[in-house]
Amino acid sequence: MNHKIKVYENVFEMLPSEENPSPLVRINKLNPRAEFPLYAKLEWMNPFGSVKDRAAWALLNDLESRGELANGRGLVEPTSGNTGISLAAMARARGHRLLAVVPNKVPLEKKVLLKIAGADLEVVSDELCPAPGLGDGSINLAKTHAKASAKKYAMPNQYENDKNWEAHYQTTGPEIWKQTEGKITHLFVTLGTCGTVTGIARFLREKKPAVKVIAVQPTEGHDVPGLRNVSQLSVSKLFDASLVDDILEVDFRLAYTRAMELCQNEGLLAGPSSGLVFTGALEIVARDQQGFGVMIFPDNIFKYTSNMIKHIPGLGSGNQP
Amino acid sequence: MANYSHPEVLVETDWVKQNLGQAGIKLIEIDVDTKGYDAGHIPGAVGFNWQTQLQDQVRRDLISKEAFEKLLGDAGISPGDTVILYGDNNNWFAAYGFWLFKIYGHKDVRLMNGGRVKWLNESDKELTTERPKIVPTQYRASGPDLSLRALLPEVLRLQPGQTCNLVDVRSPDEFTGKVIAPPGMTETAQRGGHIPGAKGIPWSTAVNADGTFKSADDLHRIYFQEKGVDAKRDTIAYCRIGERSSHTWFVLKYLLGLNNVKNYDGSWTEYGSIVGAPIEKS
Repeated sequence: MNHKIKVYENVFEMLPSEENPSPLVRINKLNPRAEFPLYAKLEWMNPFGSVKDRAAWALLNDLESRGELANGRGLVEPTSGNTGISLAAMARARGHRLLAVVPNKVPLEKKVLLKIAGADLEVVSDELCPAPGLGDGSINLAKTHAKASAKKYAMPNQYENDKNWEAHYQTTGPEIWKQTEGKITHLFVTLGTCGTVTGIARFLREKKPAVKVIAVQPTEGHDVPGLRNVSQLSVSKLFDASLVDDILEVDFRLAYTRAMELCQNEGLLAGPSSGLVFTGALEIVARDQQGFGVMIFPDNIFKYTSNMIKHIPGLGSGNQP
Repeated sequence: MANYSHPEVLVETDWVKQNLGQAGIKLIEIDVDTKGYDAGHIPGAVGFNWQTQLQDQVRRDLISKEAFEKLLGDAGISPGDTVILYGDNNNWFAAYGFWLFKIYGHKDVRLMNGGRVKWLNESDKELTTERPKIVPTQYRASGPDLSLRALLPEVLRLQPGQTCNLVDVRSPDEFTGKVIAPPGMTETAQRGGHIPGAKGIPWSTAVNADGTFKSADDLHRIYFQEKGVDAKRDTIAYCRIGERSSHTWFVLKYLLGLNNVKNYDGSWTEYGSIVGAPIEKS
């Protein structure tokens, strides 16, 4: 492995670390305040295409090291796509199978990618009506498989497993600290399993207690895969409210228009969750005026063309002769 | 401290565990999406699909008495059995099943408090993919007891607030007409809003965070004092397709002990499509 000339003996050596961080790229045209630079951490540059490489690798390693995947036992995991894609590709390369339990609202591209990556797919109806006790269909179905067919499946459970946030405490946090030379004042993240926010925030707060952690959420009833509104957060045991200074709620449709602006003005082919976090960051830039912001951009736009067609007028027309 | 009016119709997960395999006690999981049952169910439980097995597949209606008899006979149920129902979506469809069992006169039917999610999340409870071995029976139903069911003509004659309680158990956005149905639902109506005079009391008002029913004291306070349900009047509950309202019907009739409670299973998908029917949106 040589990070300088980028020659690797296997794909896993490319996974991000303090020595091999995912890139930080400054926003130029779309950020009006020079006194508050914003840097995007491009997690789609990770080898399996998203921020979830980090947690997936930690979860898989943990199961392997505890002997949980011996004798042909596979994995089952609820996923909105990215964890599943990373986990499936990694697991197959290591000789394990993954059953990915996926909510129906996940875009078609991700479902197909999961299959291409080698996952077996089980698609469940989306929840009928958010309410106490209802839980999340995909999480409960994955838990059911893990309980009823324990010999066949181990469930990493990214929503409850400390390895998820620890992966960010060990990699993403130290990377940001080193890349910004400690100058970071604001961290901007979206919330899903909350592993990202909890891991990075814990690391940064130890280094610099004044760092502000801003979580950006889509409005309720949203259509941004992988993210959760505060009303849906109870599904994750990893959310630590004491680590978050502000939770901004942003109209979820802006996730799509901002993603498009990032593509067309900055050359950053950012996905909708990146668009959402960028929208939130601009609100804070206007409020706080000065600072040094780092935004976690979870993945790129390639998996979301069908969602983009739904939300951006004109994208779906003129595509035929 | 008040008790439920009919505590005998509710069993806890621990009770179910202790009584697994007992003669005369039959478990049925009723789901809208039977993937859950297929992936794992309580040992010994039969699975019913609400959409394909509890609904008439030609006209919009409950299954007929004959179909109910065949369904239960094929599931090995006898009229004298204690039937425990549980299911997905916080027991909505199990509650519908409970209502259906009562319409066709099954004496001893009970709900498992908290449904399949509660059982799933308790570490001492097992799940299996094995289907139970069934000895079919010749089940004979009675009824139907139509005093438990409201049909459209009765609903159109109502003067809610003056003569009866009309309880809309849908979400606030459905009640005000902001949405006609929750996102992604295929069963819908032509118009949004609610039946004039209905009180909006979402079904989830009755449950704790773990999906179990709130205490009798809390239910009394919420429904009678805060929400203004008049215990002396007849009551009709409705929702979108009649499953969430079965859950509230169960609460009002069996946990709070109201005398005359009906489930309007036609609900908003029927009422919201009637030409000329009055609608309120606030």
